[in-house]
Amino acid sequence: MSDNNSENSKVYLQPMPVRIWHWLNAFGIVTLTVSGAQIRFPEYISLLGSYKSAIYLHNTAGFVVAISFTLWFFYYTFVSRTMANLYVPKVEDLKTGILRQVKFYFLTYFLGWENPHHPTPDNKFNPMQKSVYLAIMFVMMPLVSLSGIFLTNVDPLRGLIVMVGGLKLLAGLHFILACSLIAFLPTHIYLATLGHTPTEHIKTMWTGWEDELEEHKEETDNTELATSR
Amino acid sequence: MKINLKIITTVLALLMLPLAVNAMEMDDCLGCHSDADEVGEELVIDGDAFTHTVHAEMGCVTCHESITDEHPDDGEAVTSAKCLECHEEVHDEYMTTSHAENASCTDCHNPHQVRGLETVSGANMNQQCSECHENSDVLETHSTWLPQADLHVAKIPCITCHTATDSYEVVLNITEKKNTSTDNEATSSFPSYADLKNYSGEKDIQALIDINEDQHISLAELRTFNLNPAYKNLILAGTLVPTEASHNLGSHDNRYDCTFCHAAGPGSMQTSFLALPTAEGTYSRMTVDEGAMLDTLYGTPNFYMTGSSRSASMNILGLLIICGGFVMPIGHGTLRYLTRKNRKH
Repeated sequence: MSDNNSENSKVYLQPMPVRIWHWLNAFGIVTLTVSGAQIRFPEYISLLGSYKSAIYLHNTAGFVVAISFTLWFFYYTFVSRTMANLYVPKVEDLKTGILRQVKFYFLTYFLGWENPHHPTPDNKFNPMQKSVYLAIMFVMMPLVSLSGIFLTNVDPLRGLIVMVGGLKLLAGLHFILACSLIAFLPTHIYLATLGHTPTEHIKTMWTGWEDELEEHKEETDNTELATSR
Repeated sequence: MKINLKIITTVLALLMLPLAVNAMEMDDCLGCHSDADEVGEELVIDGDAFTHTVHAEMGCVTCHESITDEHPDDGEAVTSAKCLECHEEVHDEYMTTSHAENASCTDCHNPHQVRGLETVSGANMNQQCSECHENSDVLETHSTWLPQADLHVAKIPCITCHTATDSYEVVLNITEKKNTSTDNEATSSFPSYADLKNYSGEKDIQALIDINEDQHISLAELRTFNLNPAYKNLILAGTLVPTEASHNLGSHDNRYDCTFCHAAGPGSMQTSFLALPTAEGTYSRMTVDEGAMLDTLYGTPNFYMTGSSRSASMNILGLLIICGGFVMPIGHGTLRYLTRKNRKH
């Protein structure tokens, strides 16, 4: 593919702030996973040296991810103002979109069909992705961060902790949410390899640009034109 | 036959004599020494506190040997036994510590009030230490290195770390949440026997948790107590205490390693007790089911030690969730590989 061609068939899908946020989160979540594992199973895992260093690292990484989450939230809600459009599934998505996407991933993909969803900057996620990210970004991430904040301030927040059902419930919730988020990682990474080439989507998350097939580009242009009218 | 009876009676009377004499003597002593007007503030003994000490069982003259029946009219100086005469091992251990330069035995332990570790709990645990060590100073020095220093200082008695003991048990205390009327802020404190009696009514306070009154707390009884809406202001707080209190006070190097406490060995966190206040102002302990601290949620909702009181069922659930995350890559990936020819166009 020549330079000229590639210029014509590329779409700027992931703006710089989103990419920085994504990789900061990725690094933070891996750090949290390893340090969290050491904190819960200190007699089996000692990758990060002393228990105290694992705790400090876990707290710092948790703080960084929580701040990065807040920045992400403000960026999409108030700067790019595309939060609702990107992350909240539309009626159409729920009615037919999810089913169509499930059918693709679990059946027609194996038959060699094309992905029915073509990402554009305004419609980055397919209906299945939207639903999953909605649960992760609006339910699990806030809850895991909030429970983490409570667990790092047990003494000052004791009254609140007792009110929500006790320290053990909170620690249990933090652990189960963390496991669910960890469980999402292999699926997330695997699905990222389902582009036209295994590394296509991963490269996009680094450079911001995604290759687009010519016929899809036309479709996108038409849609954009229709929307602007 | 008559002679035999006489002998037996005499022997029995002689055997009981020392007990009678001791009891009489202590009562005689307390007759004057519980009245500050009679003997002065310095020599007054709190009779209630003293009678519950181990020392009281030995009687007054065991330690104050020079006292005669004529005391105080005989003008004899009153002698007091030295602690090390009985507590030699403790003395030897204590004398090697830097505490020995600053405090003698009686600076921390009033021999007329001293009680065993089991009868001390709740707010009394740090009583001796706080005589010299201000809480704010303790917090400041620990904050320089200890994560969540405020939590550690508030929840764990000093002797848990600052004695050379390597065997620990968990002690649960009932704390009471009180809403202060002025600023509507909830504070919790260790309720007295009388406070708890308000909850138990006619029954003894142990019946609050020990429903079948068998002097043992089962996991089911703990859950029932924790979920009972009538006791919503009573919260079980747990702490880690040494099984025996050694007198090798000071900072022990291995305590700087968090995993000294925060690692669950096979036997860790299995032994626990419930401490209940007694009418006399001390505490009594009751055994709790083994492993109750590790119950997922309701055994001890507010006792959780990172790394050591994790629940096995939670671990299994977490592992299943994580394994679930690999279903898609492995399952889909296999089918993807097998159908790879379909996508070559």
